[in-house]
Amino acid sequence: MRENPNPMVKINNVHKIFGKTLHVLRGIDLEVNKGEVVVILGASGSGKSTLLRCINFLEEPTAGTIEVDNIVINAGESDKKRENQILEIRKKTGMCFQAFNLFPHMTALENIIEGPTTVLGQEKTQAILYAEELLDWVGLTDKRDEHPSRLSGGQQQRVAIARSLAMKPKVMLFDEPTSALDPELVGEVVDVMERLAKEGMTIIAVTHEIHFARDVADRVLIMDEGVWLEEGTPEVIFNNPKEQRTRQFLAHIL
Amino acid sequence: MKDKTVHPGETGIPPEAKRVLEKIETKKAKYKKQMSIAFVVLALFSVTFLIALGLDFKFMVKWLPFILAGSGYTFLVAFLAISLACFLAVAGALGRLSKNPVFNSIATSYVSLIRGTPLLVQVYMWYLALPQVGGALEAFGIPGVQRLFTLPAIPAGILALGVCYGAYMTETVRAGIQSITIGQTEAAKALGMTTTQTMKRVVFPQALRVIIPPVSNEFIAMIKDSSLVSLMGVWELSYRAIKVGRRHFQSLEMLIMVALIYWLMCSLLQFAQEKIEKRMARGDRRIS
Repeated sequence: MRENPNPMVKINNVHKIFGKTLHVLRGIDLEVNKGEVVVILGASGSGKSTLLRCINFLEEPTAGTIEVDNIVINAGESDKKRENQILEIRKKTGMCFQAFNLFPHMTALENIIEGPTTVLGQEKTQAILYAEELLDWVGLTDKRDEHPSRLSGGQQQRVAIARSLAMKPKVMLFDEPTSALDPELVGEVVDVMERLAKEGMTIIAVTHEIHFARDVADRVLIMDEGVWLEEGTPEVIFNNPKEQRTRQFLAHIL
Repeated sequence: MKDKTVHPGETGIPPEAKRVLEKIETKKAKYKKQMSIAFVVLALFSVTFLIALGLDFKFMVKWLPFILAGSGYTFLVAFLAISLACFLAVAGALGRLSKNPVFNSIATSYVSLIRGTPLLVQVYMWYLALPQVGGALEAFGIPGVQRLFTLPAIPAGILALGVCYGAYMTETVRAGIQSITIGQTEAAKALGMTTTQTMKRVVFPQALRVIIPPVSNEFIAMIKDSSLVSLMGVWELSYRAIKVGRRHFQSLEMLIMVALIYWLMCSLLQFAQEKIEKRMARGDRRIS
């Protein structure tokens, strides 16, 4: 898919400094093409999640430029127009969290239609039709009217994915979507992610799921202390990495 | 042992386990029964005590309609004051959480000032001191303020109670909002919701569940504090009871009666609170 010269996400020289001195991202560049699946690996604290959260401005980058589907936002500015641009980017990006973050006071279906009805102003009946399709797609039709507390972790994460997809996003961001799951529940979530990739969704995933990285990713990037350590196809990264530190890291997670 | 036990792999609950389950059930039922008996005994004891005191029940029945007529004022004052307080509490909590220095400082001062002064002083402030403020303003050349600021007893009471409880409830609402995890806000934002939408659709509905019990507390306290409007000569429940009791030298009868009426009103509120809490608990892990 890399022959498509049409970057869906373009990150240019992004820095993130927490407080006054905690320099987490140190000048990150990244281009992700339409339909491309990118997996970011790295030790905990290396800045992967922060980068992901900068893309939809859950974290405000301290310096640099973020571009999603031709909406360009520079760090360090703030005005009304920019606020609206951030909302536009968020509508175009879906995000799945490690802790699922489903709305506990809503049923699975209500969670899924919340974005379309509240943010996009869709008719409820129309939103429900699409939500039911999505529930079917993630295999949870029978959990339509259950509250999240009655669902397993894997089921919750699948509802969370459906909730993001209801917004018809151009890019999906996965922030360690399986890290909070019991081992036997990881498969059902990874399976949904794989099917999403097959349908041509642009995906940026921070995950330790090696199967997903090896079998589904077009490109794997390794982050180390806020800079890219190495990038390449899964074959190269997993079988023949250049950097010694990459080898050390992979030895830990493989 | 007579009963055959269930071997590993077989279905069914083994008889020895069944006996334990039955024991637990009997224990629960026994506890419930003992509780009911204790309450009934306590009630009987209280009634006997009151009869032994030689209470004039005829006198109580005779004055009951007159006293009850005052409950209208109590309800009116409490209801309007709590409505005002709820409104102020939400506005105050948003102010306390706001990054806007003007809103934040106003909300913070409001809470500090009102919580730091006695309600009694505030009641008189609205009723007796406010006209003086109006007079001073009129002297500055704003016509008609003094009349506007001279409040009848009931509106003054409603304002005093509403503003006072609003300050306490501001902190309750603020704590409720802050108890909702950041992940909820982030999930809402990631969907593209504005701050207002996030508050309205995600944070506030969840915070509401947290603040219902403490707000009900305030509600119940308000019902009783509404008797403070009697200070301004409003003929509400307790005022009537005290007046009648004094005039006929039968204060005990009147006070017991009015206390029972308040208790009944508050019990109704508590009942409503329990119903609402049950309804709001849908989706709560601890219940379902």
